[in-house]
Amino acid sequence: MGSLVAQIVSVTLMNLGSLRRRLWMSLAMVFASAVVVAILLAFLAMAKGFEATMSGAGSSQIAILMREGSASEINSVILQDQVNLIAESAGVARDTNGPLVSPELYVIVDGLKKSTGTEANIPLRGLNETGMAMRNNMRMVEGRMFTPGTNEMIVGEGVLREFNGFEIGKEVRFGKNLWTVVGVFSTGGNIFESELWADIKIIQSHYNRGNSYQSIRLQLENNGDLKPIQETIKREPRLNLEAQTEQEYFASQGKQLQYIATFGWIISSVMALGALAGALNTMYTSVADRAREIATLRALGFSNFSAFCGTIAEAMVLAVAGGLLGSLAAYLFFDGLNTSTLGGSFTQVVFSFEMSPDLFVQGAVLALVIGFISGFFPAWRAARMPVVVAFRHAT
Amino acid sequence: MSDFYLVFKNMTRKPLRLFLTCFAIFIAFLIFGAVTSLKSALNSSVELSADNRLVVFNRINFTQSLPIAYVQKVATVEGVKHVTHLNWFGGYFQEPSRQVVSMAVDPESYLKVYEEIVIPEEQKQAWFNNRQGALVGEKLAQIYGWKVGDRIPLSSNIFSHKDGGYTWEFVISGIFKGDTEQYDTRQLLFHYKYFMETQTFGGDWIGWMALTTDDPAINENVAKTIDDNFANSQSETDTSTEKAFNKAFIEQIGNIGLIIFSVVFTAFFTILVVVGNTMALAIRERTGEIAVLKTLGFSSTRIFRMVLSESLLIAFVGGLSGLAAAWLLVEGVKTFLARFLPNLILDGDIALQAILFMLLLGLITGLMPAFQALRLNIVTAFNRQQ
Repeated sequence: MGSLVAQIVSVTLMNLGSLRRRLWMSLAMVFASAVVVAILLAFLAMAKGFEATMSGAGSSQIAILMREGSASEINSVILQDQVNLIAESAGVARDTNGPLVSPELYVIVDGLKKSTGTEANIPLRGLNETGMAMRNNMRMVEGRMFTPGTNEMIVGEGVLREFNGFEIGKEVRFGKNLWTVVGVFSTGGNIFESELWADIKIIQSHYNRGNSYQSIRLQLENNGDLKPIQETIKREPRLNLEAQTEQEYFASQGKQLQYIATFGWIISSVMALGALAGALNTMYTSVADRAREIATLRALGFSNFSAFCGTIAEAMVLAVAGGLLGSLAAYLFFDGLNTSTLGGSFTQVVFSFEMSPDLFVQGAVLALVIGFISGFFPAWRAARMPVVVAFRHAT
Repeated sequence: MSDFYLVFKNMTRKPLRLFLTCFAIFIAFLIFGAVTSLKSALNSSVELSADNRLVVFNRINFTQSLPIAYVQKVATVEGVKHVTHLNWFGGYFQEPSRQVVSMAVDPESYLKVYEEIVIPEEQKQAWFNNRQGALVGEKLAQIYGWKVGDRIPLSSNIFSHKDGGYTWEFVISGIFKGDTEQYDTRQLLFHYKYFMETQTFGGDWIGWMALTTDDPAINENVAKTIDDNFANSQSETDTSTEKAFNKAFIEQIGNIGLIIFSVVFTAFFTILVVVGNTMALAIRERTGEIAVLKTLGFSSTRIFRMVLSESLLIAFVGGLSGLAAAWLLVEGVKTFLARFLPNLILDGDIALQAILFMLLLGLITGLMPAFQALRLNIVTAFNRQQ
């Protein structure tokens, strides 16, 4: 047994030692697996980053109410008396100032994207102090809160990253109205950072919205318990609303980028097949190239198995080297890459690619699989070939 | 013995290697064809927009509305041929997930501005005369199996109906086609008046205007005049060509598209490099044989031609089959994706581009070994074999 291990080790070392002689073929193998791993990681990192942005926003403690049938806030309309009715409902948490209910309204405004210099949609959300207080993870990074009743606004970190002209102290013009940026807020990297926030009353009056809103956010008395609120809605015909937890809402909004992630999986699997064919070819050629060497080893008394293992090990070393190279490239190019896209509410969602350690693990596994498959069949052939035939062919 | 026979024999001497090489090329071009079609489908709205058509939106953002009085003012601007106005309805059929691109329009002026719309004369008149009438695009009608004369309910996720609920009833007056196959006919158009009279809120507001100018050359002037007219009013306008607007809209989807395409194209080229390397090696291995052929009196150019045609042949066998598979794939998912990407077509341009890449692959992988074969000195070649 000990001698078998020793045999495998020495064959492997010999194979690796002779790699230099087959430089171009080896490089092709490394290249092929690097590409597959890099593509896969790029797509996964994108999906991961988007997911983090979406799911981080959702709390099961908060319910979001919109007009029934509207898939997102932008399509919903809620009137003041409906807000009042909901505020009285059972199941809504209260503090000393009364029920924790935040009616909100947003309009879509244009911002200039840094990357392309073109205009893109950003939501300008109006909310009151309760609404601000209900977002537990929100904190000011710089500057101060807007003063209610004035044309002041605060901007999310994501907006600041992706768009021009929203630095503190800057004046921003939307139509006839001039706004002043007085603060920058962070909500821990989630979707709210893609928004501008200002006083709800001011937005209602500037945009002729009367006393209307688009959504109601409210804190639930019991975590995740929507029942009392849904009963109120059922009982009261004036309330044509739908209630869901914020978590559910953002999960459904995040679906569309999931498709991109799936698309990424399909593309990288198909590409992997192509690259695998290239890698297999390389390994076959590499084995054919050494047929005489392998035959000599076997004539010397090395077992078939050790010849087999040596070839597989060679392929796996090359594939893993490629995997590392691919991961490194993906990490350098994509990790932390800021980007934005049109989200479910017709506005820009700013997010970053995120290369988490488990992605590297997935990349490494993929590289190992490529190495194993592309080594297995040529190794099988090398080990099975009768020694005499190998000698005859090699000359 | 023809040269082709020799080329063929050379190519197929290691069937497994040939298969793997062709397969890798096949995959590379399959992906190239599919992804390029996807890309051009995304961009098609830009290419199809008419040169002399302008759109007028609220300056704040295109989702903000404009007062209807603006239409008359725009109509009087010099250089404006026809002007019409549109309201986004946010329609869906039965389920909120089954969205229908639907707009409330002024029928007569709409058909003047959007000349691409082809519709039988009697259907057109029927639509003009029926306030509840709707004009449906061919593809949309196909998706839901609608026919002329059908009564269909359409709900809005924005507006509510005066009589309660969010559902409007329409009668299909006509089914229109586009003047080119790529024109997006997944739309439903209905009367602005009917919409105004039956909605609970919204008043006399329009979503945006579309207009045609007498000549694309005066576009810029017309746009400037319009925007100047409404400067410092409650609703300032932003006028741009339809092309510029569509382009900006696509850019909103953003870098994501760009990132995907660059990743895929990098992969495409890397696969070609890897495969090319193997192909070149396969020929280099045969140095000895080439020397024999030379000894037998084959001229250098003849060998050069044979080596080159071998690599070209491999590139085209793999590439063309990949392209064909991409075409099948695109045709297969076309109907399935019609709702999101109406113009998914693998057209001649894409095929031509792919063929160019195949040619390039064959030439690059073949030229180097071919040149070596051309210059090969028989004596050294035999020596090297020892």
